[in-house]
Amino acid sequence: MTLKGGTSQACAACKYQRRRCSSECPLKPYFPPDQPKMFQNAHKLFGVSNILKILKNLDADQKTEAMRSIIHQANIRDQYPVHGCMGVIKKLRDQIWLAEEELHAVLLQLDMYRQQHYQQQISSSLPDDVVPSQLELGMAPPNNALSLFNHAPQQPYNAVSAAALPIAQQHSYSNNSYSSTYIDSKDNLSNSIWVQHPYAMNNNNNPMAIQSLQVSGIQQEVVHDYDELHPFFDTIDDRQSYIDSKEAYESSSEESLKDTTQSIEHVAENELKTAAACFSLTSVN
Amino acid sequence: MSSSSYSNSPCAACKFLRRKCLPDCIFAPYFPPEEPQKFANVHKIFGASNVSKLLNEVLPHQREDAVNSLAYEAEARMKDPVYGCVGAISVLQRQVIKLQRELDATNADLIRYACNEMPSTSTSHQYGSRRTGGQGGEGSSVDQNSGYYFPPHWNNDGHE
Repeated sequence: MTLKGGTSQACAACKYQRRRCSSECPLKPYFPPDQPKMFQNAHKLFGVSNILKILKNLDADQKTEAMRSIIHQANIRDQYPVHGCMGVIKKLRDQIWLAEEELHAVLLQLDMYRQQHYQQQISSSLPDDVVPSQLELGMAPPNNALSLFNHAPQQPYNAVSAAALPIAQQHSYSNNSYSSTYIDSKDNLSNSIWVQHPYAMNNNNNPMAIQSLQVSGIQQEVVHDYDELHPFFDTIDDRQSYIDSKEAYESSSEESLKDTTQSIEHVAENELKTAAACFSLTSVN
Repeated sequence: MSSSSYSNSPCAACKFLRRKCLPDCIFAPYFPPEEPQKFANVHKIFGASNVSKLLNEVLPHQREDAVNSLAYEAEARMKDPVYGCVGAISVLQRQVIKLQRELDATNADLIRYACNEMPSTSTSHQYGSRRTGGQGGEGSSVDQNSGYYFPPHWNNDGHE
């Protein structure tokens, strides 16, 4: 009777080993009789004696955890006979590496969008600056915008001075690609010009000033100045007359040392010639 | 011992088991005598007979990988008798799930920006500090759909 009851309640370990499963069976809590495969895997990898050796020095709580890990490890070995847990660990490490790479890429993209969003927020402040002109034109702002624009009429001067910088920034941000390429080409162009003509370096002290001039439409005047400069330098290069070179000398700035020395040489040469002519004339007389 | 005719010295397994290392010794190619600890660990955790059975079940060109993985698992079990190498798996799985949640949340944020929607300040703060998991729906979906194992589920995995 007891024998029959014992066999009916035997754990998977005792069932497999065909032995009587007593109530003190150490493996009974971990290998229920309806899961023989679980025990077979553990038995195949570790063996009952080795499992018992591992459990021997552990607390009750630790025994439960250890049995879970042993069963899991044995199931993995059954699934992957060659690599076992090492294969799973390698797969997980690869997965982590991929996820980190993907996360890094997505975060970079997100930063890009955040910057764009920030620039859009700056550009959305443009209507604040437009409002005074609308008010001047007699246009009533929408009701829901009043709270936003209340501060502008109270401090008109500050608003104007404060609006100057945001406008410049807004132009450089909103038309990012366009303005940057434009300024770059302008810089390249101006550099190529200014290397030849150091006189124009005065205008390059403040790139932002040039940009604001371009934005506000004074660019035409600047270009006009450049156009006026060309004949001046042409005369120097051509080494024409004494009068032209003297004009150039008088009108040239301190930065154009090369050109001034050249013109000075011109002057010296011409003065020597005239002096020689006078000398020869006086000597003749 | 004196009749070790195959090689100068027996393999680590045969040396440990004090038996004659025959030419067809299955341990000899993978347990050189210079690494006695490798076999000692494997033998203590799995047993020599289990290891030889496992090696016989895999193809000869896979045996080296099998031995190395067994040696790794045995060493891990020696260091951590409770969790062994499964502890490392658990840590890595948590890391994967955490990364996946972070990735899902960041992707959701990215989609929000891409659609020119204004993200709320709370979410932007959340992602600014790179804390994730606040997206309850996404996080729970990851949990539900994840095929990863956790210690409480180990027994369930064994059912399969």
